[in-house]
Amino acid sequence: MDAFLHSLTTVFNALPYIAQGAFVTIVMVAGALSLGFLLGLPLAVAQVYAPRPVRMLVGLYVWFFRGVPVLLLLFLFYFGLFNVIGLDLGMIGSSCAVLGLASAAYQSQIFRGSIQSLPSGQFKAGRALGMTDMQCIRSVVLPQALRISIPAWSNEYSILLKDSAMCFALGTPEIMARTHFVASRTYEYLPLYIAAGCIYFLITLAGITLLRRLERRVRIPGCAAPDMTGDSAGGMQTGI
Amino acid sequence: MKRLLACLLGVALACSLSSAASAKTYVNGIDANYPPFSFVGEDGNPTGFDIEAMNWIAAKMGFEVKHQPMDWDGIIPALLAGKIDMVCSGMSISPERAAQVAFSDPYYTISKLIVVKDDSDMSAEQALNGKIRLGVQRGTNEHAYLEQMQQDRKLPFTLRPYDSPPMAIADLLNGRIDAAALDSAPVNNAIAMGRKIKSVGTFAPDDNFGVAIRKDDAELLKTVNEGYRQLKADPFWKELQDKYLSQK
Repeated sequence: MDAFLHSLTTVFNALPYIAQGAFVTIVMVAGALSLGFLLGLPLAVAQVYAPRPVRMLVGLYVWFFRGVPVLLLLFLFYFGLFNVIGLDLGMIGSSCAVLGLASAAYQSQIFRGSIQSLPSGQFKAGRALGMTDMQCIRSVVLPQALRISIPAWSNEYSILLKDSAMCFALGTPEIMARTHFVASRTYEYLPLYIAAGCIYFLITLAGITLLRRLERRVRIPGCAAPDMTGDSAGGMQTGI
Repeated sequence: MKRLLACLLGVALACSLSSAASAKTYVNGIDANYPPFSFVGEDGNPTGFDIEAMNWIAAKMGFEVKHQPMDWDGIIPALLAGKIDMVCSGMSISPERAAQVAFSDPYYTISKLIVVKDDSDMSAEQALNGKIRLGVQRGTNEHAYLEQMQQDRKLPFTLRPYDSPPMAIADLLNGRIDAAALDSAPVNNAIAMGRKIKSVGTFAPDDNFGVAIRKDDAELLKTVNEGYRQLKADPFWKELQDKYLSQK
């Protein structure tokens, strides 16, 4: 009982310190997701609609960033590339950038999947109405594709959140690093890791809930996501 | 959005101004999982024998020092890449490291202990020659030493590398390893904290701790060496040892 109380006090005392790490983690993940989105969306569009050489370049990018472990990417960029080109983003900035670049590769494939799941008639109909290719993509394809992407994208969020724990390799003071520091001082490994796990769990839950809400909010009335695939197979007979 | 941008700009400006106005700031990369030399205190700030020593030297020699917890595996690359300026965090001077970075004069000597559980009757001799699981801190002098020794003398133990000495000690107590080969300071610290372990002897020659500095940074090396010379002549040196390194 005594030992239990002692563990509890240790965890309780360490919570403010670890919570500051949660802030770092959230900032990092938000930055990386945004960067991944801003890069991943054009990559996806390019991979579907651009001429062959561009498609191959995008493929190369995706192949590289999906093929190399995040930890290795962190080392490669922070100690190598960023240093060679004289880019100093600081630890949190660098972590953000590397996670974002990697996430762009994954996100591009999420978006590509959604774009290609749309019936090709959508794009053709836009062209028939006199829209340019870009207009079709922007006002017909993407609004639908992005909506379908949300469930898969929430996956990317929770994976990235947990990948962010590896940024300690650069010294980024996020949740995992701080937990580890406190554990080294107090030897209360198990209770502290359980507490850290709970924090990660809460952040995941909050993010997923928000995305669920977003998904419901932006849903097109009368056009649930599964119907769209039905649409492609059956033409006009659904949804009437 | 505009206000946010203005805020960020303000912060950036304030940072650059403050650094320009004060004395030169050096960043000390530390292993914050290495009590009692360097760890994170209850208030969340780095503390320990090395931290307080370097703070004293900084104040005496007229520079600012910021302590930056890092992963031990990345600490020499970070130093070489200029992300940090020194490593004052219980780093043993070794020929391999000295090939890459410069070291200050040794400031502390540490012994290499074989540690077992309190109630174990294993001797250091038995630990090294038995078919046991032996814990060690990954990427340290003792890790390299044990690997070499095992290769040379065909010793039957299995090495189990850990991230930090406290983790090795935790696993020793869990019974997942039979003995651990560690630096004396973290071991004494753990014993002082009531961990049920004991040292049964040494396994390697003593190591010297030095501050690692980039080879082209001769000025900082000189400053640090002079700083330690003054610190060792000061009563504070004894005070520090009593505070962090006493064997209770």
